[in-house]
Amino acid sequence: MSFVAAQILNGIATGMLYALMGLGLSLVTGILNIPNFAHGALFAIGAYLLATVAVAIGNFWIALLIAPVGVALLGLAIEYAGIRRLYAAGHDYQLLFTFGLALILSESIILIWGPIGSSYLPPAILRGGADLGFTMYPKYRLFVMMAAGVLVFATWLFLEKTRYGAIMRAGIENKEMVSLLGIDIQKLFTVAFGLGAWLAGIAGALTAPIRGLNPGMGPDMLGIAFVVVALGGLGNLLGAIAAGLIIGVAQALVAAYWTEASTVVIYAVMAVILLVRPQGLFGIR
Amino acid sequence: MKKPFLLILISIFLLPLVVRPAIASEIWIFAIFGLGANLLLGYTGLLSFGQSTFFGSAAYVAGWMMKVHGINAFLALVAGIGVGALSAAAVGYLCVQRSGLYFIMLTFALNQLFYFTAYQWTSVTGGEDGMPGVPRPALAGIDFKDPLIYYAFVSLLFLLALFLMKRITESPLGKILQAIRENEVRAEAVGYNVPRFKLLAFVVGGAFSGLAGVLYAMLFGIVPLEAISFVFSGNVVFATLIGGSGSLYGPVIGSFVFIWLSESMSTVWARWPLLLGVAFVLVVMFLRGGLVEAWTRFWTWRSSKQRD
Repeated sequence: MSFVAAQILNGIATGMLYALMGLGLSLVTGILNIPNFAHGALFAIGAYLLATVAVAIGNFWIALLIAPVGVALLGLAIEYAGIRRLYAAGHDYQLLFTFGLALILSESIILIWGPIGSSYLPPAILRGGADLGFTMYPKYRLFVMMAAGVLVFATWLFLEKTRYGAIMRAGIENKEMVSLLGIDIQKLFTVAFGLGAWLAGIAGALTAPIRGLNPGMGPDMLGIAFVVVALGGLGNLLGAIAAGLIIGVAQALVAAYWTEASTVVIYAVMAVILLVRPQGLFGIR
Repeated sequence: MKKPFLLILISIFLLPLVVRPAIASEIWIFAIFGLGANLLLGYTGLLSFGQSTFFGSAAYVAGWMMKVHGINAFLALVAGIGVGALSAAAVGYLCVQRSGLYFIMLTFALNQLFYFTAYQWTSVTGGEDGMPGVPRPALAGIDFKDPLIYYAFVSLLFLLALFLMKRITESPLGKILQAIRENEVRAEAVGYNVPRFKLLAFVVGGAFSGLAGVLYAMLFGIVPLEAISFVFSGNVVFATLIGGSGSLYGPVIGSFVFIWLSESMSTVWARWPLLLGVAFVLVVMFLRGGLVEAWTRFWTWRSSKQRD
């Protein structure tokens, strides 16, 4: 029983990370109205940056702050130099552009950090397990659960309770109306892309001590982020959390009994949900 | 419409003189793949980013049947086309119910479903190492072991596929698909069952991808894991767009350029996908509309110069 409970906790921890990824992607995709195939590469860069910075300065916590900011800056640069010129182009060219970008970023990771994956240990205080009464559980995963929860909650507060968040939600609903109200839509796009990149970066940074680092982590996570958005809906915070947790827990439970199927199950669960509810969990478009 | 066809015929004859027969074959195989992708991308306006699902599934299934059950080339082609169409029907069924960005993401996610299945099912697919030992069985007494004879076979099938796709795009079905691309709401209002026609486009496109997949497996004697990965899906989108998704011949020109580009780059540098990424970005920035349009623009520019 405690084994199953531990697996469910694992599922919640990874599920929260999936939700974070999906949330970032859904902000970018919803507001900018572009398919962002570079979101996974930004996630991977977040993980690699965390490990590199943490080793360089010898402090995990500062690295956890710096790495996502680095990814956000990269995101801003990408928006400024490329994506900005593509708002009028069709989805096909936007797709090709972000896919090309993803290739460039993934290959750069291999060039900089090498093709072989490596593991990365969590900081000393978060190593080992904590006794939860019914099971021993790795401290770092508990931390990830809380950190991801806080981040999702903070994003919710930002979107629902602040003026800028309201503008962003309005931007997802109706861009023309927002710009007619005298709001600089271009600035909104840039901020949204930066914020999405930041979320991808921090998800990557938090993931590094759990899964280690390898060049394939970006594309793998990209597919998962797509699943979260397809099930949860664009710009739908609750949808992202629900979808992230469902696939996270399903994956952890299946992995316990059938390790080989642990990745396939994410997509199989999505296919089954879509068979029953083609419109996704909360019925959007 | 006679001129492009003549050009293709000439290239079919000249190509083996310029490049190795294997690469020449790969170009026309990729062109068949592109024709199928373009039915979705160009004619129906459906941005499928999961075309390698059908290509790879067909390559694995038909390759396995040739390798283990020793079926002949004809049966392998039939099996490949069937698997391509069937997998496309399954994926298409889930995807056509959503539109726009959701549609793109779903095609990618379902591509991942097939990819990870192939990745993990090592006893059949060989996982990361690919499925080696796919034979090139004979057909009606013709031995395809000779690369030039196989090239002739591939070229013939390509011409057949091209002719068939031309007929499809000019048929009422093709016109309906284009109507859906131009205005989905209107097509629906006129009385067409839009999701069903989109699904049909998937199935036909999937059949073309399946044919290409089998030919690919027979050409290299192996089904690499890459054949079912999103990388292949991206490549065919790129080839179609660089050629110009608006025309029948666009993906043919595109696959010509793409295979030539990737073959020459991959021998130079192991990290060539980086260059490919740069190429994607540059095409989007400067060559939107594809080569066909660039060509037309060049000629109109030239003829306007001559008039001055």
